[in-house]
Amino acid sequence: MKPGYLTSDIRPWLDIARHIVYGAAFLTVFMLMSPTVRAEDSAAKVLDREFRSTVIPFLNAYCLNCHGTDRQEAKLNLSGYTSAGTVASSHQVWEIVLERIAAKEMPPEDAQRQPTAQHRKAVVAWIHSAREYEARRNAGDPGPVLARRLSNAEYNSSIRDLTGIDIRPTRTFPVDPANAAGFDNSGESLAMSPALLGKYLDASREVVEHLVLKPDGIGFAAHAVVTDTDRDRYCVKRIVEFYQRQPTDLADYFFAAWQFRFREKLGRGPETLQQTAARTGVSEKYLKSVWSLLVSQDRQISVGPIMRLQDLWPGAPSETLQPADARRECERMRDYTVALRSRLRPRFRDMTIEGSHVGSQPFVLWKNRQYVAHRQTYDRDILQVGEAASPAVNMLDAALRVPADDVERERYEAAFGRFCSVFPDAFYVSERGRDYVQDSKKLMGEKGRLLSAGFHSMMGYFRDDRPLYDMILDTAEQKELDALWRELDFVTRAPMRQYSGFLWFERTDSRYMREPQFDFARPENQDASSDRMIRQLNTVYVEKARRTGGGDVEITAIQHYFHEINEQIRWVEKARLEAEPGHIQAVLQFADRAWRRALSKTERKDLIKYYQILREQDGLNHEEAIQDLIVYVLMSPHFCFRMDMAGSGSERQPLTNDELASRLSYFLWSSIPDRELRHLAASGRLRQPDVLQAQTKRMLQDERIRGLATEFTGNWLGFRRFEEHNSVDRVRFPVFTDQLRQAMFEEPIHFIVDMIQQDRSVFAFLDAKHTFVNATLASHYGIPDERLETLPAVASAASGGTFSATGPWLKIDDANVYGRGGLLPMSVFLTKNAPGLRTSPVKRGYWVARHLLGERIPPPPPNVPELPADESRLGDLTLREALARHRDNKSCSGCHQRFDTIGLAFEGYGPVGERRTKDLGGRPVSTDAVFPGGQEGTGLHGLQTYLRQHRQDEFLNNLCRKLLSFALGRSLILSDDLLVHDMRVKLEADDYRFGSLIESIVTSPQFLNRRSGGHSEGQ
Amino acid sequence: MHRPHDQLARRISRRTVLRGAGVTLALPWLESIPAWSTESSDTGAEDRFPQRFAALFMACGVHPDHWWGKGSGSEMELSRSLAPMESLKTKMNVIEGLFNKNSTGVGIHPGQTGNILSGASLQKGAELKGGISVDQVLASRLGQETAQPSMVLGCEQPITGYHETNFSMAYSSHISWQNATSPVPMEVYPSLAFDSLFDNRGSRRNQSVLDRVREEAASLGRRTSFGDRSRLDEYLTSVREVEKRIERQRIQQNKAADRAKHRGASVVTMKRPDNGLPEDIREHMRLMCDVIALAFQTDKTRVGTLLLCRDISGLFYPFLGVRNAHHSASHNDRSEDWEKISRYYCSQLAYLAGRLDAMPEGDGTVLDNSCLLWVNNMWSGSRHDSTKVPLLTAGGLGGTLKTGRVLDYSGEDDEQRKLCSLYLSIMNRMGVSMDSFGDANAQLAGL
Repeated sequence: MKPGYLTSDIRPWLDIARHIVYGAAFLTVFMLMSPTVRAEDSAAKVLDREFRSTVIPFLNAYCLNCHGTDRQEAKLNLSGYTSAGTVASSHQVWEIVLERIAAKEMPPEDAQRQPTAQHRKAVVAWIHSAREYEARRNAGDPGPVLARRLSNAEYNSSIRDLTGIDIRPTRTFPVDPANAAGFDNSGESLAMSPALLGKYLDASREVVEHLVLKPDGIGFAAHAVVTDTDRDRYCVKRIVEFYQRQPTDLADYFFAAWQFRFREKLGRGPETLQQTAARTGVSEKYLKSVWSLLVSQDRQISVGPIMRLQDLWPGAPSETLQPADARRECERMRDYTVALRSRLRPRFRDMTIEGSHVGSQPFVLWKNRQYVAHRQTYDRDILQVGEAASPAVNMLDAALRVPADDVERERYEAAFGRFCSVFPDAFYVSERGRDYVQDSKKLMGEKGRLLSAGFHSMMGYFRDDRPLYDMILDTAEQKELDALWRELDFVTRAPMRQYSGFLWFERTDSRYMREPQFDFARPENQDASSDRMIRQLNTVYVEKARRTGGGDVEITAIQHYFHEINEQIRWVEKARLEAEPGHIQAVLQFADRAWRRALSKTERKDLIKYYQILREQDGLNHEEAIQDLIVYVLMSPHFCFRMDMAGSGSERQPLTNDELASRLSYFLWSSIPDRELRHLAASGRLRQPDVLQAQTKRMLQDERIRGLATEFTGNWLGFRRFEEHNSVDRVRFPVFTDQLRQAMFEEPIHFIVDMIQQDRSVFAFLDAKHTFVNATLASHYGIPDERLETLPAVASAASGGTFSATGPWLKIDDANVYGRGGLLPMSVFLTKNAPGLRTSPVKRGYWVARHLLGERIPPPPPNVPELPADESRLGDLTLREALARHRDNKSCSGCHQRFDTIGLAFEGYGPVGERRTKDLGGRPVSTDAVFPGGQEGTGLHGLQTYLRQHRQDEFLNNLCRKLLSFALGRSLILSDDLLVHDMRVKLEADDYRFGSLIESIVTSPQFLNRRSGGHSEGQ
Repeated sequence: MHRPHDQLARRISRRTVLRGAGVTLALPWLESIPAWSTESSDTGAEDRFPQRFAALFMACGVHPDHWWGKGSGSEMELSRSLAPMESLKTKMNVIEGLFNKNSTGVGIHPGQTGNILSGASLQKGAELKGGISVDQVLASRLGQETAQPSMVLGCEQPITGYHETNFSMAYSSHISWQNATSPVPMEVYPSLAFDSLFDNRGSRRNQSVLDRVREEAASLGRRTSFGDRSRLDEYLTSVREVEKRIERQRIQQNKAADRAKHRGASVVTMKRPDNGLPEDIREHMRLMCDVIALAFQTDKTRVGTLLLCRDISGLFYPFLGVRNAHHSASHNDRSEDWEKISRYYCSQLAYLAGRLDAMPEGDGTVLDNSCLLWVNNMWSGSRHDSTKVPLLTAGGLGGTLKTGRVLDYSGEDDEQRKLCSLYLSIMNRMGVSMDSFGDANAQLAGL
């Protein structure tokens, strides 16, 4: 094959001549069929004639005795085939017939009559040509694809990408059945039942439990959001995480300023302050402030703390002052600044009035506001004037000393003023206990009160982040933070709850409102938080406050409180009302994404109308109506069915751009298309070959490619359900923990994601020297810890971004040293194919033959003798010997010789894939094997060599067929043979890179077109 | 708590409890009709009436001197605060000396309350963590049988915020927990509690969605060709089938309610309460008790909790002539005022038990097939003492719980006097057999 031959995207699919040139496999066919009969109808006639003259006599003589009307050995009935056409319509059956006859397995050795070699050859050739004829007749047929529901895995991923939350609502669904090709993503197997529909309804309801209605749209929380405490948790977490993301470590700024100062010496000559800030991840705005303070030449303030900081700032980099040293010194500057700054913090008195409680809302808020107003100033009284009587014991005490001389003192005070304005006593306060509590031990216990206002017993949030907001955040970040705080009030109805707490507290712990004039204002009163009632309470409360000795400051604080809380409550009420149309729009957008296409005008109208019906006729409130609207969107077949796959006629038609986007994303990501795909689909460009290819490449690099890795390879190689694998005796194998099981499951996924993203050769599956491990698996594989420490963690999609908690994964390039590398020795397969307390060469060999090489092996007869479950109970025989006896039995040997010995090469690995030299009965294990075909080899390496030298073709063929079947969401049909052939050709031309297969598939007519489920074959 | 229960309870109660969040459609229950409400119930299932459980909660202790019972059966002598139960004393038990180890020594109030029905150890700070409560375990196991797995009601709005012990005040407001981290949303509006029960709101909502889905799928079916329609047809059939089942379920429940009416002439009739919160606490408590009574009689649910007041309650009782609010009054718990309040709360149990006892069911009454549990988080509010808690039960739980007794566990070892042991006993008698719950591994001896 010549590389480059298939570079053109518009391939002449139906070019028969090309197949004659390149399709070695088809040469036999054309040797049989003379060129003159190539016209279709005459070809059909020839086939029919041949069938009658060659095949029927063969069937009658050698097959129908056992596979006929009277007996159907292996459930096979070959009677009733009267023409070439009838054979074509059961091509799957005839493929098996072909294989068995060609391999001389049928008729069986002990049959009374055997065909001549020539007759056998003629029948084999005929089946080939019949298949070839049929395939060619329907070349490029998209095949019968049924509109079908999403598989469980697709459902989960789609919900994850729709909501941003990995809710996995199908975890309680029944396992999806697989189709004949072993995949659970086809209409052939994905049926719907009332029981399942009920679960779909549950699943949709579960999704909307995570719904959060926000001022500007809808969102989903990581946890269910049903109670106030859920809502608090969601909003508070978002704000606190925002704070924690901000660069507020002063050492970072001192260090960045240092790097900027010495940028030339550090080899970054042209860097601007802006660039330094960006590179070091600090705020540009604040770096400027810090920078100008550190380089300030202002004589007036270069005393006291500022002089001290300038002194501490490290000098030019040198042999003895490496950046790491400078960094350490900058940390010392920070520690000094923070310590000194905390000493300069002004204190404020607790406010209270006679008969009230010091922890009451108006007073606590007043004091909080004092702190907020003074975060960038200091208390002059804290400074110590004049010489100390005795030398200061600690550096900070010394730092607080200022000269007694008026002029000098003024200079110092100005320096402290500047220092405190650049370094606030806190950028933000995210936790607050009750500030008025004197007992510091008690206060120590009040940890974790996030964003709390610090009231006594009452809930209430308080925003205290002015310095962060003013000095560090840029405009966009300020907007984001403002929005988060608005969201908190909006979502949690914090002001209403806070006020209701006030009404309760003021007549319990605080006894201030126990008199009858306050009776009207009780939380039970439906109207208590109305504008009128709040004003009324304000009046009554202030009257009492004046009577009980409240001064102007106290009265103002109280009035301020009522005014503020009233405003806040009114805002929440108003905002909630105003946000309603936005929520409906957000659901329309949600539907657009969920249904994977633009909504029609009618659909938009209908959805809005449905909302109105829910509100007006069904009497739901806004939130309930939005919930049900979303439930409806998710229950609609447009979401839970792959409508893009359904054709609307038996004619072949190209997929629309939106449908193509869906098909791509469900193939590669098992999920909905993302914005970029949808955008390209909407502009009609996705079908352009260059765009399609570029998008495919992009998608392969996206972390969602884990979808393909898990769903395709998991089903192909039979480990998809290994996370639930429970047949290991954990008493005998205590090493097999849940963590190890999870790590075993992840290993092939990491391996395959890496293969896809690095576009490696598919032969790596068979004989790569590398594999991937986390700490748990490394220890199972005997890879020393020291090896791991030196390796960089893999940032591949396989770690699933936020979806995995199995620790960092590392690529081990010389895993062969530890007996690993490639798929074969992965413990997931070795464990899965071992029945507990012994290994199973039968299962392991069968796995290689069946899953990896795609050999078709019939099921065993029902009366097979069992081997002991525990290999220590095998008596005098080794497992190897026991199996050899089994193979002596004629009815077993036919199949077992095709895989037993392959499995024996794995005997160096125990029941959980651990390396071993002795079996559980203490007998030394041997890994010598005579492989099918007679080649000899030892252990893993021997098997790898054997597979590469003798079975490679089967492996490639199987991989192509499986991947194609997965991509198309159906079993393969005869006409796909041509595509498989082309995939092989291109794969070879592309150095066997995995990406070549994907490219072949996504550009194939099978992938780009569709037709309805009706059969066209054999008609 | 064991995780599986947590998850089970979450899956069920999350989407079914109150505010009409939608009744779950786990199909098994659609197929299995409640035993006593089937057509065949006339012919023999009568002896298997459903067992019900409800917990009533009062906070901050009782008057310690006036909370006792002596003797047994009709000879039983009741203290002043327990006097409201006089006419029902043969159907009640006075149980003394039980406690939750995890609510002692951790600080007062919220830490003594949030685990009253779970026995779990509670976590301080912003993150809530406790355990699933006994009512929610029952709801997750028995709730499939009824329109609502459970009712979680309250007569005082929940609050959050932080107590000085650094426990969240959410623990003071919630006794029903669906799992370790989330309380069950509590319904404080009698009107909505009524609706959630008698409107079958959840299933109506699901039916509305399915209706619409069916229309849409049908129109799609018309548009696509034969081959593709087969899977869509399956979908359509499934939607129709589920709709029918919901409808059947509703009919069954209405029939059950009808039958309940016929069996007992004096069925609770209750008009829908007005919207909003009743401003008189007496009215509020009465309505909530009525909702539970009606729910039990018509078998809409078999499990309920009613938080009469929350811990550190701000309720006040002008009608008792008491000027102090609940919590402040409790600090003077040997006062006349506090005795009146204690008695008033006992009268709520008497009211609900009386209503249930007026509902004939088979040879007995609904009360005979129920267990009402009246429990308080402290013995003494002035000392914040939860080393034993006041506890009453009413009802024979279908003949499985002997009544008319005074049981005193005060002298027993801590191991022998666990609240959670009592919960285990009740659950086992209701057919929910568990080996352990909360901090208990054994049922309560001598119950």
